[in-house]
Amino acid sequence: MGQGKSQFTEEELQDYEDLTYFTKKEVLYAHQKFKALAPEKVGHNKNAKLPMAKVLTYPELKVNPFKDRICKVFSSSNDGDCTFEDFLDMMSVFSEMAPKAVKAEHAFRIFDFDGDDMIGVSDLREVIQRLCGPELKLSDSEIQQLVQNVLEEADLDDDGALSFAEFEHIIDKSSDFCHAFRIRL
Amino acid sequence: MSGGNSKNKAKSKRHEGWEEAGGEFYQELYPGGEQELFDNLQRADAAKLATLLPSKQARNTTTVKRARSQTDRRQSTFARTMQSRDIHLSMLPDLSENLSNEERSWEEIMQIKALPVPMSQKIELKARLQNATKLRLQGFEQLHWRQRKVWHRFRIGCTETFSKLELWQTPMREIEGKFGTGVVSYFLFLRWLFLLNFTISILVIVFLILPKTLLTERVYECDETEANSTVCCSIAYFEKNTTNSNIFLDVIQGTGWMERTILFYGVYTDQIYTYYVNSLYHTKLFYNMPMAYILVPISWTLLSLIAIVKTAARGFKQKLIESEGQFYKYCNLVFGGWDFCIHNDRSARIKHQALYNEIKGCIEEERFKEEKQSRSRESQILMHLKRLFINLIVFVILIASGFLIYVAFNFSTERLNESIGSNENRTRTMPIVYTTMSFNQLENVLMEFLPFICIVVLNLIIPEIFSYMIRYEGYMPPHVIIITLLRTVLLRLSSLGVLLSQIYLYISTNGIVCAKHNTDTTKLECWETYVGQQFYKLILTDFAVQFVTTFLINLPRAFMARHTRSRCLKMFGEQEFYLPKHVLDIVYVQTIIWMGSFFCPFLPIIGSMFYFMIFYIKKFTCLVNCTPSPVVYKASKSKSLFMSVLLLGFVISILPVAYSVAEILPSINCGPYRGYTTVWEFVIQTFNNFPSVIREVIFLLSTATFAVPAFAVTLFFLYYYWAVATANRHMVAVLKNQLVLEGHDKQFLLNRLSAFIRQHQKRCDRRNRPSFADDDSSIRQSSR
Repeated sequence: MGQGKSQFTEEELQDYEDLTYFTKKEVLYAHQKFKALAPEKVGHNKNAKLPMAKVLTYPELKVNPFKDRICKVFSSSNDGDCTFEDFLDMMSVFSEMAPKAVKAEHAFRIFDFDGDDMIGVSDLREVIQRLCGPELKLSDSEIQQLVQNVLEEADLDDDGALSFAEFEHIIDKSSDFCHAFRIRL
Repeated sequence: MSGGNSKNKAKSKRHEGWEEAGGEFYQELYPGGEQELFDNLQRADAAKLATLLPSKQARNTTTVKRARSQTDRRQSTFARTMQSRDIHLSMLPDLSENLSNEERSWEEIMQIKALPVPMSQKIELKARLQNATKLRLQGFEQLHWRQRKVWHRFRIGCTETFSKLELWQTPMREIEGKFGTGVVSYFLFLRWLFLLNFTISILVIVFLILPKTLLTERVYECDETEANSTVCCSIAYFEKNTTNSNIFLDVIQGTGWMERTILFYGVYTDQIYTYYVNSLYHTKLFYNMPMAYILVPISWTLLSLIAIVKTAARGFKQKLIESEGQFYKYCNLVFGGWDFCIHNDRSARIKHQALYNEIKGCIEEERFKEEKQSRSRESQILMHLKRLFINLIVFVILIASGFLIYVAFNFSTERLNESIGSNENRTRTMPIVYTTMSFNQLENVLMEFLPFICIVVLNLIIPEIFSYMIRYEGYMPPHVIIITLLRTVLLRLSSLGVLLSQIYLYISTNGIVCAKHNTDTTKLECWETYVGQQFYKLILTDFAVQFVTTFLINLPRAFMARHTRSRCLKMFGEQEFYLPKHVLDIVYVQTIIWMGSFFCPFLPIIGSMFYFMIFYIKKFTCLVNCTPSPVVYKASKSKSLFMSVLLLGFVISILPVAYSVAEILPSINCGPYRGYTTVWEFVIQTFNNFPSVIREVIFLLSTATFAVPAFAVTLFFLYYYWAVATANRHMVAVLKNQLVLEGHDKQFLLNRLSAFIRQHQKRCDRRNRPSFADDDSSIRQSSR
């Protein structure tokens, strides 16, 4: 830990503690994890920008079907490359302490593939396909039916897409979401 | 919708008026964001109008708005700003407008973390908030704020330390990474049970075991004139030689020297301890052992009940909130399906597979429902007949297993009594000191354990048969789990019931005898200890079987499955982590603990040690022996399931204990209640010695004058809450309806607006006399 401490000033740590759901120690631990992704680069510059491919070697992200979306959502340059601060943001949102609203917010952005601030039919199809993984394919009619069912349940204003308000409504009713949408540091 | 229509017409009229007046007036009124809106509208692409709506952008600001509403701040203009990417800077509070005080700005800094913006912007925001001029808090407010800050820091520190102290953190993480949250909830349940037993153990140690070991008892002399008095009987009981046999056997059976230890009911005294504390000027203090012995079980019963109800209530509340959740089945599946904590390739693949199955299953279920409606009457009757038949078989199996236990118990007690008798004959003729384990002894041990081995083996085999049979009944998947669980619970509890009734019959015929002149070895001199021994043996057997099946049977099976190519062997060797079975395993242990703790106070301590080890055994089963189950276990659902099973076990285990406390004559020779007709009689006697005021109050509480009004008031409250709940439910329905209507209204307005924009653009184009190509494209665009 002592080695990690030298890379941050006390103010920076205080900032991080105030602005994330972590304590100072956890911030340092997160930095160790981040450093492990690319030791020489991060050792040189504590806030180095790592390309997306490097970030995705993080074990939980590696197997996640939405990994590229997660990186893009949290990347401050919007291209998927993450600095340590982006990484810290990501871990803070996925941590246990983050409230449901914050998680829902980011989940919405992750699931919104085309970035039009609505989860439309194409987004839902993409989510379902990714859930089933690369090897297993649902037939088109099955996906169609599932999308139909989801929209029937949640699309209150019948516009064929889920707005954030509708999405938040679903998340409020789902207790499993908070358990599932979590990565332990 | 006619009302809505007319309203809209009025609105569109206003729009036209606004157009005539030109944009200037409007812009003057709404500078800033509205300017942008106007520009956007000018440029707008009618088709994308919907994305400009505030509600579509609200998510960027919701969190901030929430923070604002908490601190009751001014209305700001940020909600109207339109460019979603640049929104964050304009979201900054306009500090010149009115000064905030220190506390508020601190609160705001604490709220920043909820904003969905990159860290650099957060830091900027924080710096701006910090550097802004703000009012200093004075006097009491300053103190209050400081206190809040300190409290906040203290809480963070506490959670940090607690999370470090949290038991089994790393194993949990490992399991979570491989099996997902559903299975982890099982291990959390296991930990919860461990902690419960640990608490009970502390209670028992402090109030029963420590006083027993530390304080000294007075020695009474037996008065020969009253040969049947409790004093004489108990002296005779404790002076009697215990059957002297192998130490190992004694330990696993709880007999011999073990019988006279603090493990069992027998040795606890009926005296009130007196002792002197020298430092307190030789004050005389008392410790009423019989009182402690009844109060401790009562308190752990209440403790367990409160713990269960509290945990279950939390789950119940959640379930109520999500009672609509069934309607969100597909949404939950799609948006909450993936466990983000999975970090292992293989489990990720299996999770994909599981989700795939689940999706398929859901779609099929829908079809199944349709099919069910269209199913012909004959096939329905056939199905019901099939179910009836299988239920009959289950019933027969339950009865047969009960009978088997009955036979085994009677057989073993008979054989044991015979062999003890023959042993005694032998020892009289030629005194042999048993130092080695003879064959005869081994047989005895086997006989001792026969009923318990029988129970445990039945518990192992029968559920397999049940799960095999249920396939032919055509239930829906969630029902399958519940029905198998119910049948297995019935099996386990009925086997326990048979055992208990046998023990009861045995002690009611052989239980009460004074040890003074007793030579009949089939008679029990201290039946409570005997019952305690039975439970002690049962829990030992159960643990041993868990251990053996995990390491000696399932491990080779898993090993075989992993290293063989033959399909048959693989089928045999592969095991899934079937959650309901494992839940039952640990609930069963808990049931035994609750049942036996009155007779064997040490049982909770043994229980917590077992739970500690069972955690590792189950972890081993989970991580090494099993492959992730292709069934998706929902964490929230399984939790409420665990608790309801546990509650059932609790009620069923407490009933016999309560009966024995209230009705059965305690043995004369041993225990804290020698000489009383029931244990409860002691409680009543103590109660009679209370000061009269307390007695009066308690009597009053139990009479009708108190009970009837209390009942009425409770009913009234119940009705009140019920009424509130119905009203709320109605309100929810109304609001939801309104939401849908609003959505339709919005759609309608948007269409109107886009039509208007098109019209406007066309007019502009005509005025500007653009080239024909441009016009063409705009028409094409608008027609799109």
